[in-house]
Amino acid sequence: MIRTLVALFLALFAAQLRPAPGWAQLRIDITSGTQAAMPVAIPAFSTGAAVQTPAGNTAELGRQVADIISNNLSGTGLFKPLPAAAFAAPTVAQLNAPPFGSYRTAAAQALVTGFVTANPDGTLTIGCTLYDVFSEEKLAAQGFTVTPAGWRRAAHKCSDIVYSRLTGESGYFDSRIVYVAESGPRTKRVKRLAVMDQDGANHRFLTSGASLVLMPRFSPVNETLSYMSFQNDRPRVWIYNMSTGQQQPVGDFESMSFAGRFSPDGRTLVFSVTRAGNSDIYAYDVASRATRRLTSGNSIDTSPSFSPDGRRIVFESDRGGTQQLYVMNADGSGAQRISFGDGRAGSPVWSPRGDLIAFTRIQGGKFRIAVIRPDGSGERLLTDSWQDESPSWAPNGRVILFSRSEQSGRSSLRSIDLTGRNDRRIPTPLDASDPAWGPLL
Amino acid sequence: MTEGRAFGIAAGLHLLLLLVLSVGLAGRMAPDPDPDVTPIEFVEISDLATVTTPRKPSMEAAPQEPEPPSASEDMPVAPPAPDMQPPPAPAKAAPDVAAQDAIAEAVAAAPPRSQPPSKAKPAVTAGQNAALVDKSKPKAATKPREADDFARTIEAAIPKQAKLSAIQAATLEQAIRVQIAPCWNPPIGGADVAEMTAVLRIRLNRDGTVAAPPEFVSQTGATAGNQAYARAFVETARRAVLRCAPLQLPADLYSYWREFELNFDPRLMT
Repeated sequence: MIRTLVALFLALFAAQLRPAPGWAQLRIDITSGTQAAMPVAIPAFSTGAAVQTPAGNTAELGRQVADIISNNLSGTGLFKPLPAAAFAAPTVAQLNAPPFGSYRTAAAQALVTGFVTANPDGTLTIGCTLYDVFSEEKLAAQGFTVTPAGWRRAAHKCSDIVYSRLTGESGYFDSRIVYVAESGPRTKRVKRLAVMDQDGANHRFLTSGASLVLMPRFSPVNETLSYMSFQNDRPRVWIYNMSTGQQQPVGDFESMSFAGRFSPDGRTLVFSVTRAGNSDIYAYDVASRATRRLTSGNSIDTSPSFSPDGRRIVFESDRGGTQQLYVMNADGSGAQRISFGDGRAGSPVWSPRGDLIAFTRIQGGKFRIAVIRPDGSGERLLTDSWQDESPSWAPNGRVILFSRSEQSGRSSLRSIDLTGRNDRRIPTPLDASDPAWGPLL
Repeated sequence: MTEGRAFGIAAGLHLLLLLVLSVGLAGRMAPDPDPDVTPIEFVEISDLATVTTPRKPSMEAAPQEPEPPSASEDMPVAPPAPDMQPPPAPAKAAPDVAAQDAIAEAVAAAPPRSQPPSKAKPAVTAGQNAALVDKSKPKAATKPREADDFARTIEAAIPKQAKLSAIQAATLEQAIRVQIAPCWNPPIGGADVAEMTAVLRIRLNRDGTVAAPPEFVSQTGATAGNQAYARAFVETARRAVLRCAPLQLPADLYSYWREFELNFDPRLMT
């Protein structure tokens, strides 16, 4: 009774404590905005005294570091680096006290500055600082000491700092991409595994091309890949250690195994095994090498991909009559269909962020990259081309890498922002397909 | 029973008094819960030269085209003038804001911004209004010039000393919205964007420049897991205000837009 009264009083008078309507402050909803790329000034990084290093002159490195950051940020579609030539390289003193007025005049909204110095022990220190040009606040600053061979990684790490501070999402520039490099005529195609930095630098081939290779996938935790090889005319999933070059087959199946993908902790590999036109999903324990069957029945179940918490698996299956997406528990129980509508759906990949699943929507003779929420809602098509497939997420779950085939037979790697903007080509020396984005280094 | 009721009422009133006092005090004493000043760890770079002169925090409005900054920074908010100024007064340096430092003096000495022509404009038509509304769409990358005209037509249309009616308030709101939206670049690709909004309190000088840094009021959608995103979100809102200032608004209605709140909500963009 007393409690009720007190609550009533509180409710009544709390309402009256708000300002009277006559004095109410204007409150305006801003429900739309622009999506223009944010102009960023990235002048050449300073160097106290230009010193020759195995990676080149530090003054020249300062220019190149700024170029790499500029290229990374511009590649996101979210930033518009202003031409570096428009700004004089800041003096070392200006690194902590930039002339903000002149950057504002150049319409820059953010400023990335930094320095490159050679240390007596042969290493390089590359430091970078991010400023908000309007508030003149220093938003982030970090220095990295690297070997001369690793200077590009410092530039990528700096890019990640800028990107994550301005977008609030984690970065993805200090990462690699593995893919299938293709060459030769269509009837006698040579396919080799290749790995490179996400910006295309440091490209190298991992296999000779003697056997057909497909579907390479990074382990999230170390220097390990899984892929499918037709070595000895026996198509099956292999695990490849990039630091040792060691390879080992996964399980011992009479028939074909394919579509391997690691769990988020890297301890389990899930993949498909085909028998007499039917394929099922298996889990392989990397340490004990034990295999366990997760699906059964007469349907084709394949392309498994773990949720980031490792508890669920999305996969494709034709158990309902056509190829569609299903989500099941990691032990194989409780499968639920999540894709509906016209056409088929395949090659699902769960976002590292967990909120979306990317997949290939096959409809009206076209293959297009799409995303859908894990509960089956909110399907969105991101691309519209003849044949886009094999989606793979950037480590931050913001960008999707995929391969695009043209009717001419050419194929290339592309990336697109999950907003559906910024469809751009990733440079590769040869034709390319089946990409997989690796974890942050 | 009656004793119980009397006791209840007495207890309620005491609690109420306590509440009123504490809320009133809190309102005066509470510091700004500003997420922007959340300390983040800076790794200091030893190779850098040290700062020779301490920098003043400054929040001047950033011009979109090369022109001298026209903000008077770190100044106390001028009290609202009791009398409305005659329209269409060119919004130069605010007369009730004293120049307090070298920057402000330099600003005062600088040539005034190009400002409204003296000719009276015809009243706005429905078609013109529609065009203005269209300008608020994301396509409008630059500040629409019409906002200037728009502001003046509002001045002409609103009788002096009138209390702001709902329609007038809506029109003023639209004038502000049409100028802020093109400068707001929200991070709409974030996983938590659907729930995210931020409210900032804006204080403007008579000339439309910001009188104080936009003040954080509240935010929805921020969780323990998305603090970096929530902070970046608020910063885009703050940047929008600083980029778009000075706002062109009717001088007559200054008391209504001297201080207001903006609720940044990207729901129509996602």
